[in-house]
Amino acid sequence: MEHSTGSGGGAGSGGSEERRRAIDLLVEAGAVLASSLDLTTTMGQVAKLTVPALADLCVIDLRDEDGSIREVAVVAADAGTARELEDLRARFQLDPEGAHPVARVIRSGEPALLPSMTSALLSSFAQGSEHARFMIEHNYHSAVVAPLLARGRTLGALSVLRLGDGEPYASEDLELVCELARRAALAIDNARLYSEVRQVEQRLEAVLVNLAEAITVVDEHGQTVFANQAAAELLGADTPSELMSAAAGTIMPRFLVLDEQGTELDLESMPGRRLFAGEHPEPLLVRNIVRATGEERWLIVRSSPITDPETERILYVVNVFENITEVKRAQLAESFMAEASRVLASSMDYSETLLRVARLAVPQIADWCAVDVVNDRGEIELVAAHHIDPDKLAAAERIDRRHRPTLDDAIGVAEVIRSGHAQMFTDIQPDALAAYARDDEHLELLSEIGARAVIIVPMAGAAKTIGAITLVSSDSIRSFTEADLALAVRLGRRAGTAVENARLYTERTRIAHVLQRALLPESLPEVPGVEVQSLYSAAGELNEVGGDFYDVFDYDDARAMLVIGDVCGKGPRAAGVTALARHTLRAAAIGGQSPTDMLGTLHQALLRQPPGADLCTVCLIMLAREAQGARLTVALAGHPPPLLIRADGEVERVGRSGTVLGVIDPVSIDEHEITLGAGETLLMYTDGVIEAGRPDNLLGEDGLLELCAAAPGLSLESFLEHIERAALTRARGALRDDIALLGLRIAGR
Amino acid sequence: MAVGSNLLIDVSREGERVVLRLDGDLDLASVPLLESEVELATLDDTASIVLDLRGLEFLDSTGLRAILLLDKRSTERGQAFALVRGSEQVQRLMSMTRVDEHLKIIATPEEILL
Repeated sequence: MEHSTGSGGGAGSGGSEERRRAIDLLVEAGAVLASSLDLTTTMGQVAKLTVPALADLCVIDLRDEDGSIREVAVVAADAGTARELEDLRARFQLDPEGAHPVARVIRSGEPALLPSMTSALLSSFAQGSEHARFMIEHNYHSAVVAPLLARGRTLGALSVLRLGDGEPYASEDLELVCELARRAALAIDNARLYSEVRQVEQRLEAVLVNLAEAITVVDEHGQTVFANQAAAELLGADTPSELMSAAAGTIMPRFLVLDEQGTELDLESMPGRRLFAGEHPEPLLVRNIVRATGEERWLIVRSSPITDPETERILYVVNVFENITEVKRAQLAESFMAEASRVLASSMDYSETLLRVARLAVPQIADWCAVDVVNDRGEIELVAAHHIDPDKLAAAERIDRRHRPTLDDAIGVAEVIRSGHAQMFTDIQPDALAAYARDDEHLELLSEIGARAVIIVPMAGAAKTIGAITLVSSDSIRSFTEADLALAVRLGRRAGTAVENARLYTERTRIAHVLQRALLPESLPEVPGVEVQSLYSAAGELNEVGGDFYDVFDYDDARAMLVIGDVCGKGPRAAGVTALARHTLRAAAIGGQSPTDMLGTLHQALLRQPPGADLCTVCLIMLAREAQGARLTVALAGHPPPLLIRADGEVERVGRSGTVLGVIDPVSIDEHEITLGAGETLLMYTDGVIEAGRPDNLLGEDGLLELCAAAPGLSLESFLEHIERAALTRARGALRDDIALLGLRIAGR
Repeated sequence: MAVGSNLLIDVSREGERVVLRLDGDLDLASVPLLESEVELATLDDTASIVLDLRGLEFLDSTGLRAILLLDKRSTERGQAFALVRGSEQVQRLMSMTRVDEHLKIIATPEEILL
């Protein structure tokens, strides 16, 4: 660019030449301004355009947000001058409210033409004496200051200066500089916008990249346009860029995505996709399993839209994945344990409860669950097994029958029982199965079940391991983790305690049963021509021996004794008294005593018992067989009278009760004689029968009398059962007191 | 008022007479309560003890035994002991065991003085 100097002033001289140069300048400016978005570069280049073509010195100032004026470009024909001015401006910022032309132009938005500046003028707007000296020394002569206007705002000012005696600026120059300034201002504006956007982007990126939560931004075609590091890790990529370069729809198939109930979810159910479909999805809880590794995570997926402000169309969705695996696992483990505990506590039949626990474990925590227990012969017994697939359950049971582990086995259930330590095997390979299998058939069966991961935990009782629980994950992507092992160990402990308690309970019950049997006659002796049946039904859980007793024994060759009685109370002491009663009566019979005296003897024996007051009610019958039936002598002590049931169903009480034995002295006993004919029945009972169903559904004496009407039509055994059933029904299955029944019937008819 | 299992006992004292009113069931579970209440209520100068069984709905052999023991102990201490008759079941049990012939049964607590 040629510098036009000393060609005389005035707009007229070289007019078209000037115009052409002006146009050239603007065109070049256009090119420069379009070439870069970098503010500093651009401004420098614009300033360079004007020097020396249009000026000796060019300064571009910008107004900052806070209103201060900052110089962004200084170009001078002499580089040293430029640097000096830069330095000055840096030290003496222009006062935005001051008289300096740049400040005034920025304030007013109007250009200024200063064709000739005197020293006095220069001094008047100088920012200090140094500034004044600089301007005067450099011969500031003529200046044009044009505002940089863009979108109605003044961004700054473009100043061109001629130094020395050069041609002063005229109004054409003003126009040109204003035009240049206008274009520069647009460029600045764009550059600023761009820079702001870049800054925001960078800030955002810095935040997103470092967030712990996984975030992806996806467009409507399913392409991931942004992902942070956490998202990359979650979605199985090494870096976010890997995710962003993956084709749409290629990421999700890497995972098996299930909802809380275990139903598989497809891409369209994801909140992000649903947003694009115009829905308003809630955050979604998913169970996400990596197909390649079986690793399982629980995630909450929340998606929000980024919409175009003008069209309100959704451009992108932002997906945030919150990893709640730990929390969810803990929650599931707790609810499983609560349920398992409830099941284990619900019944004393431990094989039934273990089966229910196995059913609970499948499929919640495993595909197959088996429970082995060491029985009292030292064998490992399979108590419960359950598989998600009933066919595979059959296979499992087949293996078991043919390949029962023994306590001598080196590995597996036997080892866990011996050591008391849990074991976990994950990612089981076929050759590992082969090593474990005993033979080809065993291997075939094991492979059919398809065990991929196994956990074996001990069931610990108070003193030793009583069994083991085996959990197998098979044929599925999901493998076992440390968390599963911890849960299984807890289950093993809980189950072990429950089984042991149940066994102790069952043992106590068994002992009680044995004891009870010992206290009652094992079998009733045959009385020729007379059918005798007994029935004993214990109340409640039968952990305690009851106080009812009965007996049948020979008195002599011709006669037999039948006894039924009730000792007050339960437990060992009462059991002792029933034994005393039976044996005392038997002894008294040997002595040939009458029924009344026999009861008197028993009474004395009871009185002598320390500490005293062992009440006992007794119904004692001496039976003498006769030609057509039997003659009965009935003696009662505080006991309900027996019932005589005629062949036609008529019922009557026999005898009148005497004093209860063991406390009140003396006792008063009556004897009563009756004859029993063919087909007639005599029923002796304890008060547990008539008290059944108290208080609101009482059987009572009347109820019993009604039941007796049915006797003639039933066998003696069925008749007693009929009464027992009625009592149990009244009591809704829960008797408060024991029931003892002794029936006799004369054969014939 | 003392409560145990299904039994409520209300104790009142009129001079030398102690009246224990029973409501509910006197059985294996509630006998200990009766025994302790009688012990607590009886002082050196107690001359008579009345068990008011009008509110007693159920009596089993353990309850019966407890009553008989109380009677025995009262006799040993020279105290009068009586029962106000109870419900039908109670009376039937007492009748069947002929305990009612042995114990003093009255219609109201005041009658013990007669």
